[in-house]
Amino acid sequence: MNLKMLCAGATLLLVLFATACGSSEDSPPGAKKLSFELTDEGCLPHQASAPAGPITFEAENTGSSKVTEIEVMEGDTILGEKENLSDGLSGSFSLTLDAGEYAIYCPGGDVEKGTLTVTGESKAKASPKADAAVAHYRRFLEGNAEELVAKTEPFVAAVVAGEVAEAKSLYASARAPYERIEPVAESFGDLDPRIDARENDVPASEFEGFHRIEKALWLEEGQMEVDVDMAPTAKQLQKDVEELAGKVETVELRAVQIANGAVELLGEVSASKITGEEERYSHTDLFDFQANVEGAEAAFDAVRPLLDETDPTLADEIDADINAVFVELEPYRRGDGFVPYTELTKADTRKLARSIDTLAEKMSQVPAAIAEGEHA
Amino acid sequence: MAPLTRRRFLGAAGAGAAGLGIVGAGGYLLGQEAADASGEGTGSVAFYGEHQAGIDTPAQDRLHFAAFDLLSEDPAELRELLREWTVAAAEMTAGEMVGNVNDVPLAPPDDTGETVGLLPSSLTVTFGFGPGLFEKPGLGLAGRRPAALKPLPPLPGDELDPAESSGDVCVQACSDDPQVAFHAVRNLARIGRGTVAMRWSQLGFGRTSTTSRSQDTPRNLMGMKDGTANIKAEDAEAMDRFVWVGGEGPGWMRGGSYMVTRRIRMLLEVWDRASLQDQERTIGRHKYSGAPLGGSDEFEPLPLDARQNGHPVIPGDSHVRLASAKENDGARILRRGYSFTDGVDESLGELEAGLFFICFQRDPEKQFVPIQQRLGSIDALNEYIKHVGSALFAVPPGAQPGGYVGEGLL
Repeated sequence: MNLKMLCAGATLLLVLFATACGSSEDSPPGAKKLSFELTDEGCLPHQASAPAGPITFEAENTGSSKVTEIEVMEGDTILGEKENLSDGLSGSFSLTLDAGEYAIYCPGGDVEKGTLTVTGESKAKASPKADAAVAHYRRFLEGNAEELVAKTEPFVAAVVAGEVAEAKSLYASARAPYERIEPVAESFGDLDPRIDARENDVPASEFEGFHRIEKALWLEEGQMEVDVDMAPTAKQLQKDVEELAGKVETVELRAVQIANGAVELLGEVSASKITGEEERYSHTDLFDFQANVEGAEAAFDAVRPLLDETDPTLADEIDADINAVFVELEPYRRGDGFVPYTELTKADTRKLARSIDTLAEKMSQVPAAIAEGEHA
Repeated sequence: MAPLTRRRFLGAAGAGAAGLGIVGAGGYLLGQEAADASGEGTGSVAFYGEHQAGIDTPAQDRLHFAAFDLLSEDPAELRELLREWTVAAAEMTAGEMVGNVNDVPLAPPDDTGETVGLLPSSLTVTFGFGPGLFEKPGLGLAGRRPAALKPLPPLPGDELDPAESSGDVCVQACSDDPQVAFHAVRNLARIGRGTVAMRWSQLGFGRTSTTSRSQDTPRNLMGMKDGTANIKAEDAEAMDRFVWVGGEGPGWMRGGSYMVTRRIRMLLEVWDRASLQDQERTIGRHKYSGAPLGGSDEFEPLPLDARQNGHPVIPGDSHVRLASAKENDGARILRRGYSFTDGVDESLGELEAGLFFICFQRDPEKQFVPIQQRLGSIDALNEYIKHVGSALFAVPPGAQPGGYVGEGLL
């Protein structure tokens, strides 16, 4: 989780769902335009329809101080949004939508949810290889969601019992399954900030989840009664990861999205793990580093049969680069885990960053390379 | 796909209204051809030729320089890198976008995009090889190292930081637009990812030398005109005598040159407290006119033998005297440096600024090294400067279309 992503919820989804919705700031040629007014009543009109394909959503605040935001959602997933439209402001965004029912969500209005009906052809059928890729990744996704639930349990129990040392020893490994499936976990509205927000990512009153407990365990232990003060947060965390595990079972996946997820995970490593920003109190960043790369590897393995058809050389190179990353990580293993981030020198982090950049540059070629093979 | 000029890429969308948003395929390729690109400072410098551009090219206003460590010892990989770098450099120099994949919605664009809409802006990209390249056993180049590419000896006044010194390969990008120079280094670094890793880089915000008679002499951060007596590209005889490698070889370097870079930190706060007279005597020139002390015209010869009241008019420890050809057995160098600033010196709270000195010559051991040995020992300027970074590169001759820079070596 990083600040930029949280602030631009739509943007992070865009990375994952770029193929599903092709969201963008600009209007693609031939897009159908739908106009909405942001009023105290909500977004008007409450009902809209459009043919499947590119749609540009134009929104104007015509005098509401209560409603300043419009989101297009499919179930719990935000596909696109425009925020901070205060009185008199207007804005637009574009999505490419398949046939189906969507919600127009305008929080704060008298009527918060309207309906968008998209008519016409349903989505293109996936190829057998793409189906296999999705099935492969789904096993990984669900396995990790289960592991997250299972490993969070003893961690939460230790926090609630006030066993600080025990809780500390379980912290990093409880988080690892989350870090492996982060791109998917991030697509469920506010579940990701609840589980994984870092301090300052969210208003202080909403700071909860793993990192809130991390701060209590490593920084505030002497200043609070961990068992009393952190019990509600810990119990909520358990509920949240269970909710997440339920949701991943229904999430729709496509091969190109999975490949994008691999790119995104490597971006996470570069942005917040190599820099030691993710685990600022426990310094267990290298656990997350490994988990992110494992997640990227699993996503890559899932789509590899598609890539082998179009660019087997790239596939082999990525394989070698993934191995190279793990080799670079090897010297920092200690016991079952890793040395604290604070023991790394600048030269160490530079070498690690280099191996990730090399891999990520190639991984970023995968989504386009497998796109053609995705459809039947 | 035919190469896209950056101006044409913008095309019908128009720079104003739609910004640079590039969505879907189609329309945006159909725009008008770029505005006339021949304006001063905005034109295009030929990339291919006998010599690499960026040496005798009239010094552009901005610099982005980068030194890289080579990660691979596979000669094939190095050849491939130089091939790709050559093609990309030629594209950028011509004001075209890098690569072919720039409008595939699912793929990251080959070109990073920040120069879309910008003219070529006299971009030159100059490649060089450091001594380290010849020490990698896997490359098998040990026997081909030119005698002139000896690591520089320790020089008086050196306070070198290894992290800002040396490198196996270098890229000097000069342009009249800082974004164009930055874009060149950024895209080459991206292409090289996995084969090379950037070791250090330096932005230069203003040229401190003139390399052509068509240019005025700029001032460095000390407020002094710099490069008055520099070799000018129009002086073909001096270029051949002092800059271009000739028959002394090796063959793959003929038409090339050797580049020395020195990151020279100026202690500007100290300099600014020196009296005008002290400043002028330190350099040996008048501050505002640039004329030698006692003279009135910037370009009049240095009166090195003149004396007044028993003292030399141009002081014995002044910078221009010590750096002059006459005092260095006739040795000259082509200077092409840039002023830099990189924020605040952490330990002093002072401006971290100075001169990123670049010079080209046939043989550093006979040119830069002896000059700097004298300057480093007795130059009055040493009170105000520190050499904190240093590097040496063999700059091979230019490439021909279809070939690549460094082909003769590899």
